[in-house]
Amino acid sequence: MPVLSAKPREIPGAELMNMHAQPQRTPAETALIDAFGERLSLLPGDGAVMLKRDDAIEAIKHGLPTRRVESWHYTDLRRLLTSVPAFDPAAATKAIAPVIEGSAVLPLLDGVSTAKLPDIEGVTVQRLSEKLTDGSVAPGLDPYGADDAIGALNTAFVADGYFVDIADGAELDRPLELQNLQSAGQTHVRLLTRVGDGAKATIVERQTGEGAALVSSVSQLVLGEGAEVTWLIVQEQPDTATHLAQFKAHLGKNSKLTLFVMNAGGKLVRQEIVVRTTGEGADFKLRGINLLAGDTHTDVTMVLDHAVPHTTSTEVIRNVVTGKARGVFQGRINVHQYAQKTNAKMACNTLLLSDDGEFSTKPELEIFADDVVCGHGATVTEIDHDHLFYLMARGIDEKSARGLLVKAFVAEVIEELDDEAIVDALEARLDDWFLTHG
Amino acid sequence: MPAVQDTIDRVRKIDVDQYKYGFQTEIAMDKAPKGLSEDIIRFISAKKDEPSWMLEWRLEAYRRWLTLDEPNWARVNYPKIDFQDIYYYAAPKSTPGPTSLSDVDPELLKVYEKLGIPLREQEILAGVQKTDVSEFEEASDNVYKSGRVAVDAVFDSVSVVTTFKKELAQAGVIFCSISEAIREHPELVKKYLGSVVPTTDNFYATLNSAVFTDGSFVFVPKGVRCPMELSTYFRMNEKNTGQFERTLIIAEEGAYVSYLEGCTAPQRDENQLHAAVVELIALDDAEIKYSTVQNWYPGDAEGKGGIYNFVTKRGDCRGHRSKISWTQVETGSAITWKYPSCILRGDDSSGEFYSIAVSNGYQQVDSGTKMIHLGKNTSSRIISKGIAAGFSQNTYRGQVSAHRKATNARNFTNCDSLLIGDQCGAHTVPYMEAKNSTAQFEHEATTSKISEDQKFYVMQRGIPEEEAIALIVNGFVKDVIQQLPMEFAVEAQKLIGISLEGSVG
Repeated sequence: MPVLSAKPREIPGAELMNMHAQPQRTPAETALIDAFGERLSLLPGDGAVMLKRDDAIEAIKHGLPTRRVESWHYTDLRRLLTSVPAFDPAAATKAIAPVIEGSAVLPLLDGVSTAKLPDIEGVTVQRLSEKLTDGSVAPGLDPYGADDAIGALNTAFVADGYFVDIADGAELDRPLELQNLQSAGQTHVRLLTRVGDGAKATIVERQTGEGAALVSSVSQLVLGEGAEVTWLIVQEQPDTATHLAQFKAHLGKNSKLTLFVMNAGGKLVRQEIVVRTTGEGADFKLRGINLLAGDTHTDVTMVLDHAVPHTTSTEVIRNVVTGKARGVFQGRINVHQYAQKTNAKMACNTLLLSDDGEFSTKPELEIFADDVVCGHGATVTEIDHDHLFYLMARGIDEKSARGLLVKAFVAEVIEELDDEAIVDALEARLDDWFLTHG
Repeated sequence: MPAVQDTIDRVRKIDVDQYKYGFQTEIAMDKAPKGLSEDIIRFISAKKDEPSWMLEWRLEAYRRWLTLDEPNWARVNYPKIDFQDIYYYAAPKSTPGPTSLSDVDPELLKVYEKLGIPLREQEILAGVQKTDVSEFEEASDNVYKSGRVAVDAVFDSVSVVTTFKKELAQAGVIFCSISEAIREHPELVKKYLGSVVPTTDNFYATLNSAVFTDGSFVFVPKGVRCPMELSTYFRMNEKNTGQFERTLIIAEEGAYVSYLEGCTAPQRDENQLHAAVVELIALDDAEIKYSTVQNWYPGDAEGKGGIYNFVTKRGDCRGHRSKISWTQVETGSAITWKYPSCILRGDDSSGEFYSIAVSNGYQQVDSGTKMIHLGKNTSSRIISKGIAAGFSQNTYRGQVSAHRKATNARNFTNCDSLLIGDQCGAHTVPYMEAKNSTAQFEHEATTSKISEDQKFYVMQRGIPEEEAIALIVNGFVKDVIQQLPMEFAVEAQKLIGISLEGSVG
């Protein structure tokens, strides 16, 4: 039986999450708070974990963030999250083929880890439910700020996930795919990964399913000295699902992280990326593709902290907006006062293909060091008429020509990944999307 | 430029203490009691001899203001303002019609002298009667070789005098203080006041609507190209006063006007509040060019004192093919919170925003623009240059949006920041919102120090380091300086020089 704190404690800054909270709770807020009461006895965790859960639900009781909270300016969660499905004990889904052939798969089926843990050389895998029960992951459960609604939601409800430890110097011979699959109800998972010094790995985070579920997923990655990781997030939720995800990483000395994010589904999607360089010489690359269709809302928000000197980063985001889709990209680069010699560049390009679609972008630079080179660029435009003309003059019909140009626009980002197996696999996902939304 | 020790030392020593306009003048003043209430608003309105509709308008704004919260999203920090501890009305005591300079309060003349306004112009500004217009023109011609400038001088709460009124009237241009306009041209004021910045707009604009005491009014009728530059000089003198001026500029069909405001304030330990509202209205084919050289007292080297500059400026391109252009050189104020915007309502209208914001000492700048594209084929251009030195924080915050019907909206934004020293911060927060597929938005921003390559290139031509840096900084801001009317470009360049003195030579 979990230990509960006697009375709700004051959470510093929690009131900031929604400073203009209306006394009236929305149906979604009520559903979440009620669900917590019902689930509480089923949630794993020792006293420390349960205290974190209490704090987290208190933050949600203060209200979900509205557009008045700066980091949620374009995604008014309070308004957009209209309903929350109840937990569905009958939900049952099956593992699927991995994105890259031959990958080792770690499935989470409707929020539950697999019965048998795979045996991969150099990799230790543990169930998160066990780590919650023994309390060893409690310190990492804190939301990263007063406006971290996803972190709070996940901390309150997280029941399972994986803890993956890649040993120092290990070089994985095949990719590791973490599958988070859902069919109905609610799923709250957390994926913790530590990559040891000098280790190399390719990890796929697969987020998909088939039902109108509410999914919260938090991935935490720590890179040791000289570690090199390619992390691919492939999000293909059905267009009835709400997907609230967070990717947090700490980059050690001389480590390299290439993060690729593909959003190609979901009704309401928020993917947060929170990265901090903690060792000199660290390099971070973000490549993102957002393929938006239907009446959906997709938000990618990145906060990148250059906290030490001599670190580099580049971010390239490409967006394609069709139908009535609304897209958001917020990217903030913070360069701390002592982070001299930082080199950071960010670009966000958007193709707006329909008059009913919209895209909002907010690329921010916050710079406190003087000896840095930082820049960002952002464009929003339609297909270049000259390009279209060029292709059509060669006998290609307009629809195909448009298709080619749009595909080329996003494929450019994939090709940069420079690994044939990955590029082929991702282009196959891309083709899939174009087939259904072309 | 990386931390060259010499430069850092100089940055420490400098700047804010060198504020040239920090003098204070003892002039007999008419003041309303401290604090804000409906009675004070009635008092201001009565002082101004205003019609009853104006009083009602103010009271409505005041009641609305009581329900509003201070905005807190900007990247600025300051202690809470006590709005009951401010004088909302202060005016120099009027002496009936001085006939020569010797009759004028000598203190008032000293102010103008220190501001560098030539004697003849001083005479006019002090309200000396029977002054020969031609005599003044001559004087003015000597000052501004390239053209004449009509000036409206605002001293604390009231407009002291407006020059060249007669000649402007011949062209059909109305240029006077807003109080006079409310009395003399109520139909125009009623029609346009609050039509761009409504009384309900934001905390400071609403406060201004309730208590504004003076400002300029410009009306350029259909087809008229205003024959000279118009200018307003704002001076905050009295202790503990807030300045709330209101400017309204209307350019009718095909009209053109260029307007410049400049401002200074004495050096004081307390913070003073300045909350102005500027509204521009451009009808079909009209063009308004609005330039600001803002040099309010920035506070001392420890960040004590200085002006809180919370200003709402907005232009409405109401007519087709109209154009509004904002140019600003911001070197003063302890805190700047200011976003001159353009509402591009008319088809084919265009908006421009050119800005140089220099911050030093403990100054905090959060400034930028909004370009709201509503009409078809509208275009906008934003060039912003921020230079941060000392312990200052310099933020560009701008919004560009294209609404559903804004077919072919075009925007180009460029904001560059230059950091001098490692104790300051430069931030860029652009918001881009496209709701129309034919919109084409481009945004680019860079932050850097002066590159060694650039410096080496200049220095190897025999130019000493400090001069080389000054040259590069001048090049950095050139795009914006070029947009200023000629007479003021020189002034602006000097101001930047003074603000950065020691940090860039």
